[in-house]
Parts: sequence; structure tokens; C-alpha cells
Amino acid sequence: MKSNINKPIKLHLFIMMIGSCIMACQDLEENPKSFASPNTFYKDPSQIEAVFTASMNNLWNSWSGYGWAMRSAFQNTDSQNGGDLNISQNHGSDLWAGHYSSIANINPAIRAMKEGKLDGVPQNEVDLLIGQAKFLRAFNYFMLVRMFGDLPLLTDETEDQYNTLLERTPVAGVYELIVNDLREAIEKLPPTWPTDQKGRPTSDVAKGLLAKAYLTMATAPLNEVSYYQQARDLSKEVIDAGRYTLVEDIHKVFSLETEFGPEIMWSFISNYEDVATSPQIWSSMRGWGDISVQTEWLEEFPEQPRKQAFFEMENSEGVGFEELGRFAGVKKYQYDSEEDFDAGRSIINIPILRLADVLLIFAEADNMVNSGPTPEAVEAINKVIDRANGYIYNSEHPRLTINMTQAEFDTAVIEERNFELCFEFDRWFDLVRKRILEQESRETIRQNFSEADYLFPIPENDLRLNPLLIQNPGY
Amino acid sequence: MKHNLRIAKVFLLLLVTVVFSLTAKGQERTVSGKVTSDSGSELPGVTVLVKGSTTGTVTNIEGDYSLDVAWENSTLVFSFIGYTAQEVPTNGRSVINITLDEDPQSLEEVVVVGYGSQKRSDLTGSISSISGEEVTMLPTQRVDQALQGRAAGVMVLNTDGAPGGNTTIRIRGMNSINGGNNALIVIDGLQGGDLNSINPSDVESIEVLKDASATAIYGAKGANGVILITTKMGNSEKPVITYKYDVGIADQNKKLDLLNAAEYARNVNAVELSRNGDGNVPLPIFSETEIQEFENNGGTDWQDVVYRTAITQNHQLSISGSTPKINYLVSGGYLDQEGILLNTEYKRFTLRTNLKTEITKWASFGITWAGSKEMSNSALFGGSTDWPNNPIGAATRFSPTIPVYDSNGNYSKASLFYGNPILWNPLASAVEPLIERNTIQNNLNGYLEFKPLTGLTLRITGGARILEGNDVSFLNNKTFIGLQNNGQGTTLSNSSTYLQNSNILSYEKTLNKHQFNLTAVAEQQVQKYQGSSINSTDFLNEATGANDLAGAKIVKVGSSTEERVINSYLGRLNYILADKYLITVSYRADGSSVFGENNKWGYFPSASLAWRASDEPFVQNLNLFSDLKFRVSWGVTGNQAISPYQTLAKISSGGYYPYNGGDVTDIGFFISSAANPDLKWESTTQNDFGIDIGLFEGRLTVTADYYLKTTEDLLMFRDIPTYTGLKSIIDNVGSMENKGFEIAIGGDPFVGDFSWNSGFNLSANKTTVLDVGPVGKIAFNAGGSGQGTNLPFMYLVEGEPFGQMIGWGYEGTWKLNEAEQAAAYGQLPGDPHYTDVNNDGKINLDDQKVIGNSMPNIIFGWNNRFSYKNLDLSFMIQGDQGKDLFNVARIALEESNGTSRQLLDRWSMDNQDSNIPALIDQRTREAANLTSTISFPTSGGNVNSRWVEDASYVRLKNITLGYNFPGSVTENISLSNLRVYISATNLITITDYQGYDPEVSSFTGNDAQIGTDYNNYPQSRIFNLGLNVSF
Repeated sequence: MKSNINKPIKLHLFIMMIGSCIMACQDLEENPKSFASPNTFYKDPSQIEAVFTASMNNLWNSWSGYGWAMRSAFQNTDSQNGGDLNISQNHGSDLWAGHYSSIANINPAIRAMKEGKLDGVPQNEVDLLIGQAKFLRAFNYFMLVRMFGDLPLLTDETEDQYNTLLERTPVAGVYELIVNDLREAIEKLPPTWPTDQKGRPTSDVAKGLLAKAYLTMATAPLNEVSYYQQARDLSKEVIDAGRYTLVEDIHKVFSLETEFGPEIMWSFISNYEDVATSPQIWSSMRGWGDISVQTEWLEEFPEQPRKQAFFEMENSEGVGFEELGRFAGVKKYQYDSEEDFDAGRSIINIPILRLADVLLIFAEADNMVNSGPTPEAVEAINKVIDRANGYIYNSEHPRLTINMTQAEFDTAVIEERNFELCFEFDRWFDLVRKRILEQESRETIRQNFSEADYLFPIPENDLRLNPLLIQNPGY
Repeated sequence: MKHNLRIAKVFLLLLVTVVFSLTAKGQERTVSGKVTSDSGSELPGVTVLVKGSTTGTVTNIEGDYSLDVAWENSTLVFSFIGYTAQEVPTNGRSVINITLDEDPQSLEEVVVVGYGSQKRSDLTGSISSISGEEVTMLPTQRVDQALQGRAAGVMVLNTDGAPGGNTTIRIRGMNSINGGNNALIVIDGLQGGDLNSINPSDVESIEVLKDASATAIYGAKGANGVILITTKMGNSEKPVITYKYDVGIADQNKKLDLLNAAEYARNVNAVELSRNGDGNVPLPIFSETEIQEFENNGGTDWQDVVYRTAITQNHQLSISGSTPKINYLVSGGYLDQEGILLNTEYKRFTLRTNLKTEITKWASFGITWAGSKEMSNSALFGGSTDWPNNPIGAATRFSPTIPVYDSNGNYSKASLFYGNPILWNPLASAVEPLIERNTIQNNLNGYLEFKPLTGLTLRITGGARILEGNDVSFLNNKTFIGLQNNGQGTTLSNSSTYLQNSNILSYEKTLNKHQFNLTAVAEQQVQKYQGSSINSTDFLNEATGANDLAGAKIVKVGSSTEERVINSYLGRLNYILADKYLITVSYRADGSSVFGENNKWGYFPSASLAWRASDEPFVQNLNLFSDLKFRVSWGVTGNQAISPYQTLAKISSGGYYPYNGGDVTDIGFFISSAANPDLKWESTTQNDFGIDIGLFEGRLTVTADYYLKTTEDLLMFRDIPTYTGLKSIIDNVGSMENKGFEIAIGGDPFVGDFSWNSGFNLSANKTTVLDVGPVGKIAFNAGGSGQGTNLPFMYLVEGEPFGQMIGWGYEGTWKLNEAEQAAAYGQLPGDPHYTDVNNDGKINLDDQKVIGNSMPNIIFGWNNRFSYKNLDLSFMIQGDQGKDLFNVARIALEESNGTSRQLLDRWSMDNQDSNIPALIDQRTREAANLTSTISFPTSGGNVNSRWVEDASYVRLKNITLGYNFPGSVTENISLSNLRVYISATNLITITDYQGYDPEVSSFTGNDAQIGTDYNNYPQSRIFNLGLNVSF
């Protein structure tokens, strides 16, 4: 009997020992397999490029970011229907978040490259990557600084931004980073990319963007007029290089054939394949008309082929928008086909920089540098005007001449930018840097203007969570 | 207490009357007498039967009985629950007094607890038990639904009524915001089971563990309560074969009362004619002739078009039995359930084999295999569905003036001139989508048990659950989404494996007045998941659909894998002193891979005390209580619902953008989360005070509990400045509190030939949000899109109850005599009147206030079973009180050109009491020349109390009438049992709620989103006919 009982006890002990052994074998450390960790990433060029892709994805979404910015952050632009100059506490907060996500993705890539994590990759290839990274970061900060002013400056040297509170760096300091990044980008980016990489920024794009940055630095809020010279020189370099030219037919500036040049230099890109980021900018006078044209503003738009090319002002039966009780649509981003419209998808790129912009930057800066219009400046702007008029004389919108005063010419350039670059995320910044928002806003909302409107508010969320951030005045 | 006694008295009075009326029929030889217990007290309710006949009676309150017997030499059988039955030959006597002996064995109901079982009388924790019989009493197909109304403290919400649809089960409220509030399901010891895939007929018992004394043994998984399910085993020597069949016929429980085509057309005309601003002279859309035609043909009733009478068939077959060494059960089930919405169905095959065998006197072995295969198909519905193609919503909104098909035989489209032009044909939305879900589940569970010494048991268990899911969907060009994408097809495959090994050592010992029961467990669990998906759009050939996802222009694939490991050690000591003083202490340590690097181990203690006062002489002398027990418990449980890898910094793929500018897109990698090495489980501390009362020899029982739970370290996404590139970081931030009271009363007011068994339970729980981080409140979107409810209205606010709805107050319409006040807001009489909370003459964000709460104050259930001889009737009434639903679905119906019949009652000069805003033409408005001071944020204006409705309800959930054929009949056809029944489910619902069903919730992703009706699948009314056969 006794032995009968002892045997199983031994057996139990044995099994329990096995049991406890198995226990000890289960490791509680986690080893994820279906995603990467920052320590193991940024090891080869394609991973760095995937960061650039993500950094643009941060800005380009259907119902937020630049897919929706005209209806939100830039809705108070005079050309845009719907604004009221009442800027709310969270105005522009999605662009703030989008740009900073973009920056937060780029910074670790720059740091990894600096630390030499791209082991065995030839220096010229690394340079191409650094050039793009710096360009993208500068672009993000350039957009941010013009919207929000002083900024928390996150760079590749910032440690643990999640647990460290940052102060705002003054505008001049932000521009310092933008200029440095773009200078490096100009040096490292190629003049052209192969056809299958035509969406990437070139050295001319970096130059053009830097010219625009200098032009902005020369105007409000910094008003460092000495920068007009650099803006002029850089834009001239781009024009003279001849790698980008104006599209001859104003009706073809925004089309599938021309969305990667010769005029459009760099843009928010869409295509049928991209399942995540079809922009769905509802800019038509049909549908919900989310993005539509302010009628008072459109009335001032000179009658010329450009007006027909840029705006949808009547329906297919020829009935005008006013008669339909609606607002005009923006043809620039209209759908490639009727079918696309019905399905609510657009694959037209939205330009961030194009040669017409660079020509006008040159005209503006050159006029300022030379205290009046030079033949060169006049020629630059007249290229844009001629095309807008269909290369015939138009009394409503005549060519400019060297006989104008500096101030008259300057006003004319800004007005030309207003017409040519409308609905390209540009007009708002002209209203801001030239401090003409009040004057250009339609009468019905002008009483809502205040100086504070020249900066968007720092998002409430960030203010609350970081007491070191000080809100812009007036919010 | 006094109240309960009074109820008992009433029960007994009724009983006495009935007994006397039964016994008064005597005419032949009468035998009478008194039945007493061995302690000398009179026993009421004892069944007295003449052996071999159906003649019988029960004793009255004094224990007296009187019975007519046909023969001088009959034998009487005296039986009563808890007592040993006695057979007494009459031998010609006319008075027979007997004493029944207590049978301790039968009184001691055994209750399954975590890692063991206990006698009910020894319990110190709060546990509700539901027997398998109760589960199958309703013709229910699902165990989760069978739980509704059965146990105090358990809230079951049928959030959608689709076949195979969802339920939300909450035990004692909500503890967590993001960690999930689902109770742990343990089926035969295997953790994390699925209630839907189990065949209700296989259930022997369900135990719901509620207080920490009962749940802390499950440590980091125990915070939301535990539901233990034990499946059946054979117990009769002769094999028993049981076959059950029922057929159900379901139809729409309620149809919304909508405008017919002619009324609708007239309303459309009225709306059109009101657009006379700016000198416009609008023309009516429908001519009188057209309207007359609608009057004649009635137009289209879209509800009739998309709903049907649905048939459900349920077959269940089982064979069970036992030999001295082996107990077995083999069962199979097949359920084929159609939904009332076209194109919705659910099929389930289940198969189970339970086997237990004794190897030697000290070793036994058992194995269980349960497999299920589920298949469901459904149209799109619910909160995440775009409103135009939700057939449930569209069927109430689509213009009745439009026929189902156009003149070419295609699905008709919405008119561009009236109604909502984007709405999709409801029939197309119902029948065209293919949305199929397939799940195959295998549960395998085995154990070896050794009893080397008296009282010592070692049980080694190994279990596995393997789940394979395969979902296929295709939306063709006749669907709203399909057309936008030129066909959209997806497949989702996932497979998950869960392995559990528990090694349980227990030791029982009684020393004089001291009883000990010690349990020690070492356990390990591993869970692996793998999933992959393909999502294709833009199909070249629609015909192949989801069967050729590569045949589309755009193909997006994804895959992921995760793993979770838990190592645990736990122990429990039960100590009983003198049968009266009970102590339970338990302790569990869980090491979990998902916790942060610095917090891998969590510790969960509990302690409880109970006093069986009914065993004290001074209570026994009262001769009142058959049971009286006071319980108190305290303990800590956890919620480990952190997803794997959530504590690590993460770079994820998926930020697509055509960066290179080609025709293809490029894949991005982005930083998706920051590391938090300190992340740990949510911890819930619960105190429970309970009392168990048994009166009249257990014929009336009352169990009442009061509890207080505090949950801390809530997993929340702590906001961080967005300039970091992330919006939040997961952290242990908030805290919540639940307190509540629950009571369950059970009784057998009548026993014997006519018997009535009744159980009533009621629970009142209050969940309070104590802390949700520095913001003080969190908003949840639950309004869908396109309904003017883009602004969140569901909130968790610090210091306020869970489930607050916040928005603008709607006070009806401005009346004529209020024209002046209305004008101050730029409104005319007949316009909506909103509450100006701060009285600043403007209605804006500052005027928001609490407009409702989605959580019920009280839930209750009342179960009854009557039987008379072979007939039985049972019914259940359940409901809840004090909850609101935000009826988003109603908004579109009551738009000015909507379909609601309420529009006929809109405000007008002759109908000033109406709360439906007037249709004011633009010219009148222009003439009034008022400037509105109402500024609602874009698309948020409908976040107001007009759409908040009291959704309290009382429902006759089920009523069943059954007949058991008497033995004389069944024996002739060699059956041991034959039962037929008819039943009706959801027959009557009493509620003020205007939508289809007061129980729905369209958003259930987070409990804070519960409380919105955005066109969810409504529950149906079902009639069943069933048959049970055993032989």
C-alpha cells in the first residue's frame, strides 16, 4: 500500500518540476516582429526615403492637412468664399500638428545619417538623401513660421521631445535654420531627377523656395530689406538656368501632362494608385462646393482667358453660378474626368512652387533692389500677364512698363500674384507679409480684422501641456 | 427585510388557499397527517404522492396534508428538497404523521469558483449562479443573450439585433475607459473563451464572479468580473440521447411610422414653396395629378422592401452517459438563422466531446474538445457605416415617391431635386454587398488529476484554443462604396492560438472545528496572433469580385503579428471555524509581457470574511432562517488590456504618398508611438458587503450586495504637445469609481402539482469618473457623419457620472407670445428655442450643458416558471430604467423635407403647442430682417436635447408554454421524455423611445460611446415552436 502511494508522489514531483521548468522558459521580454523600432531603423537608403514619403503623407490627407487647408487655415484669404476673419483658438492646429509630425519623422533620419548609420552607402548617395531631408525640413518650418511666428524648434539634436518642454525660438532663429537647410539642399540636390523620380525636389526647387524665404524675410514681420538681393539673385538663377519654363497655354497649366513640369516645380502629388491620399478637394461649383470662389473677389478678376481657365463659372448647360445661387468653383484642381468627379476623386497635383511664382518673386525683389522696375523685372511679370491674356492686348489687364514707380510696380506684382497664384496656399502669406489683410478683405468682414490676425494662435492643446509656450497676442 | 417577509407571507397565504382547494376534492378514502423535520418543526411544501400514480398533494403551512387514495394498501412517497425522501405504506391507516430527515448532501449546492469548486454555504464572495436548465429554458441560440435578466449585477445589452450580432456584457458597471470592460470568460477552466460559439444546450452551469474575493484569483484579468461556464457530462448509466429542435419565425418588432408617398410629396412641395427668398417664385415639384396617383398607389414602403419574415432553425443532438469508470457526452448543434434584414444570416455548427475517466482510484483523466464553425453575412450597418448606404437608415429616409427600380429595371436613384440626393437605394444597400465572416474555433482542454493522499489533489491541465477567421467582402458597382471605388474587395485572414497550462495543487483538511482548503497554482499562458489583409479597389472584372483580388488596379496588403505571454503564481486559503466563521484569502502574481519594462509583475491580493449566523443557536431559536449569512470582502484585481508592444517606441508602415511622382504610390514609415517603460495594468480595488437569507426552509431566498469599486491607473492616452510629432502617449492616468446595490430574490411560492418558481433581480450601479487627466473631460465621437452631429456629445467628465451627453438644451419652439424674446436670438415664433445657459443673448459653445446620460440607473429581470402537471409556462420580464439614447437616426427623418410623420404636426399658427419647428418661408424671414445670434460650429448644431430620448424600457423578453407528454404516452413510443413548446421573444416592449429598439447602441468601440442610435440593426420579434425528445 505504501509503495503504491509513494510512486505517484514521485511522479507528481517529477511532473511539477517539468512544469516549473516550462514556467521559467517563458520570457516576458517583447520582441515585436511586425513593426520596426527606432533603434533598428534608418539603416539603408530605401528606409530613409520611406521617411520622406511619410513626412509628406503627414501633410497631405483627404479631410485634413493641405487637402482641407483652403477650407480651414486659409479660409480668410480674400479670394476664398466663406471666411469671416474670426480666427478661432484652434485655427490651423491640424497644419501645426501635420508639419511637426513631418519634422519629427525627418529629424531622426537626419541624425541617423549624421551618425553614419547608412553603413557602406557611397557619400554621393548619402548627400542626395541629406539634401532631400534638409529641403523637406526647411519647407515644413517655412510654412510653420509664416503661420505661427516664433516656434518650438525641433532639430536632429533635440533629445526626447516627449518629456522635455521647449520654448519658442524667435522668427529670425527659425529662418536661420531654414536658410541653412536650404543652402545645404541646394548644394546636395541634383538639378534634375530621373523620370521615375520626377516628384522629388531639385536644386532649383530649393533655390526657388529659398528665394521665397528671403523675400518673406525682407517683408513683414522681419522687414530685413537687405534680403531682397538674395531673393532676386536666387530667383534669377532659377529663371536663367532654363530648366523650368512657363506652359504656353494658360488652359494647360493645370493638367495631367504638366503636373511635373515644365512649369510646376514641386507639388503635393496625387495619383490613382495612391489609396491613402487622394485629396478630394471639393472645389467644384457642383457638389458641396467646399472650396469655392468669393464672388466680390472674382468680380475684380480681369476678364481674360486665365479667368476661364482657372474658374468654373457656369454649369454644363451654360447657366451661371449666380443664377444657380451658388459660388464659382476652382478649375485648377478640378477632376480629370466626369467619372472622377462623380466618384469624388482628383489626381491633379497642387503646386507648392512653380515657375510663374519664381518669375513674380524675381520681379518683386528686383524692383525693390533697384528702387524701381528694370526691363528685366518688367519682362518677368509680363510673361505671366501675356499668357493670362492669351498673348493679345487686353485693356482690362495691360502689360506693365518700366515707367511705373517702385510702389506702383510692387502693388502690381502683388496683384498679379493674387490672380495667378490664387488657391495655391500663397495668397494668404502675401496678405500677411505685405500687411494688407485689412485693406484686401471684403467690406462685410473687415470690421473683424485685428493685427493679431497676422499670426495663427498656438494650438490650445500645446499651450496647455507646455507652460513654456506663450500664446501669440490677441488670442 | 420586513418587506421580504411580507412577500413571503403573501406567497404562503396563496399557497394555503390552493392547497386547501386541492385537498377539498376528497371523496374516497382520505389519508391525512403532519410532516415534521427531524428538528421538530412543521414542514410546509412537502410533496406527497401515491406511489405509481399521479395523485398527490403538498403539505400546508402547518405541515398538514390530506389525500384521497384509491386503495387501502397504497404507498405514499414524501419528498422535499433537502430531505431524504420516505416511502410509507398506508396499511389502511387514515392518519399518517411522519418525520423527514435532513439530507445534508442534497442541500449543499456546489458552486464552481476559480480553480476549484466550493459548497455554496461556504462561499464568502459574491457569485451568481445560473443553471443550464435556465439557459435553455428560452429558445435562445446564444449563451450571452441567455444571461440577460438572469443575474443581479450583470448588464447585457443587445447592441444590435443582427443574426450573430453583438452583445455588450458588463458586470457591476464600467471600470475602464480604454482597457476594455469585457468580463473574462472561462469555459471549463480555459480562459478567454467565446460565449457565442458555445452551444447553450451543452451548458451545465454558469457562475458569475462579481466581488474581488471571487475574481482576484484571476489577477490581471479579473477586474471586469469573471463568467465561469461548466459544460455537461454524462451521469446516467443508461445512455441518454436527446434531440432538440426549434424553428423560429422572426419579423420586425416595430415599424417606424413614416409619411406615405402622397403626404411626402405634399411636404416636399411645401418646402420648395418656402424657398421664395430674394424675389424667387418657386414652383411645386409634384403636380396635383402626381400626388393623386401616389394617393392611389401608396408609393414605396421601403421598410417593407428591405425587411422580411425570417426563419431560424436549430437542431441539437447529444448522447451522454456514464459507466463506473467513464463519463461521456457527445453533442452537436446546427443553427441556421436568418435575419429580418434581407441578406443577413448566421450559421453555426458546434460539436463537443467531453470525456472523463478514472485510471485508478487515485488518478483520473479528462479531455474536452469543442469545435465550432460560424458563418455570417450581413449588409453594412452601424456607426461606422457611411449613412447613404446604411440600408436600415436609408429605408426610413428614402423618398416613398420613388419606385424600387427605375424604368430600365436598375435600382432607382435618389432624386436630385428633393430629399437627400446622396442617399443610396436601400434595397441595393441591403442585398448587393457580400460581407461574409467565417470563423472556425477549436477548443481542446485536457487534465490529469492525482489524489495521492486523502485531501491532496494535483490537477495538471493543458488547454488550447485555436481560432481561424476568414472574412471576405465585395462591394460591387451597385453599392455606394463600390461605385466610388469601381468595386471594392477585401479579404481578412487571421489566426490566433491560445495555450494555457495550469498546475493546481489543492489540499483539504478538517481538524475538529477547523476546516482548511488550500489551493496553489502555477500557470502560464501564451497567446499568438497573426493576421493579413488584402484590400483591392478599381476592378477590371467585377464578376470575379473578391475571388480575384489581384484582378484590380489598386491592391493594398497588410499583415501583422503579435504575441503575449503571462506567467502566474497564485494561492488561496479557505478556512472555516465551527461551520460559522468563514475566511478566504487569495494572492496572485502575474508577470505579463505586455507591461512596461519596469513593471513586468503585478500583484493581486484579496481577503473575505463570512459569518453563517443561521448556525448560531440564538438565530436557530428564532425558527425563521434556514440560511443567514453576512459577507464582507476586499481585494485588488487588474485589467491587463494593454495591447502587446504598446509600451515600446514604434515605427509603423503605411504613410503612403507618391513621393517619387510616378504612377504608383510609395510606402512610408513613420514614428507612431513613443516608449513608456513604466506602463502597467489598471488596478481595481473592490469592497463588497453582502447578505444571504433563506426563509421557510429555503423556499424564499434573498441575496443582497453593496459594493464599492475604485479603479486607478487607468490606461489613457495622455495628451502631449503636438509639436512632438505625436498627439499622445499611453500612460496610467485616470481613475473611476463604481458603487452599487444588487438584490436577487428567489422563491417557490407554490410547490407540488401546481408549482411556481420565481426569481427577481435588480441592480443599481453608478459609475463616476474620478480623474481623466489634467483636461478634466474627454470627448467621444458617437454621432456619425452628415447628421449635424459632427461635434462630440458623449463625454467623460471628472466628478460626473459615466456616459454624460453634453450639448445644447432644446426647449421646443418659440411661441407666438414669445416673439420678442425669439427675436433677440434672431428667431421667429415656430423656430427652435435653445437654452441660453449663460443668458448672454447668444447661443454658442458656452451654452452647452448636460442633456442626458447613457447608463441606466436600474436594471432588472423577473423570471417565472409555472407548472401544472405536464404543462409549464415560463416568462421573463426584463428592462432598465433611467437611461437616455441619442437618437441620431431621427434627425434626418425630421429634417424639413424628411419622412417622419411628425412633420405633419409641425408648428403652425393653428398648432402652436408643437415642438417640431415650423416651416417658415424665406420671404417671411426676409421681412422680419433678423440677425441670428445662434452660432453652432460647423455641422454640430444637432448636438441638442431634441434628439435625446428616455430609453428606459420594460420588456416581456420571452414567454414559453410547454407540454411534457406523460410517461404513459412516452413509454409507448419508447421515449423517456417528449416535450413540445411554443414561445415568443420580444413580444411586448413598453418604452417611450421612438426608434426601433431602446437597447441598441451603434458605437460600441468604447463604452463611453454607448448610447447612440444611428440606424443599428434592430432586434426582432420571434415566435418559436420547439420539440425536445430523449430516449
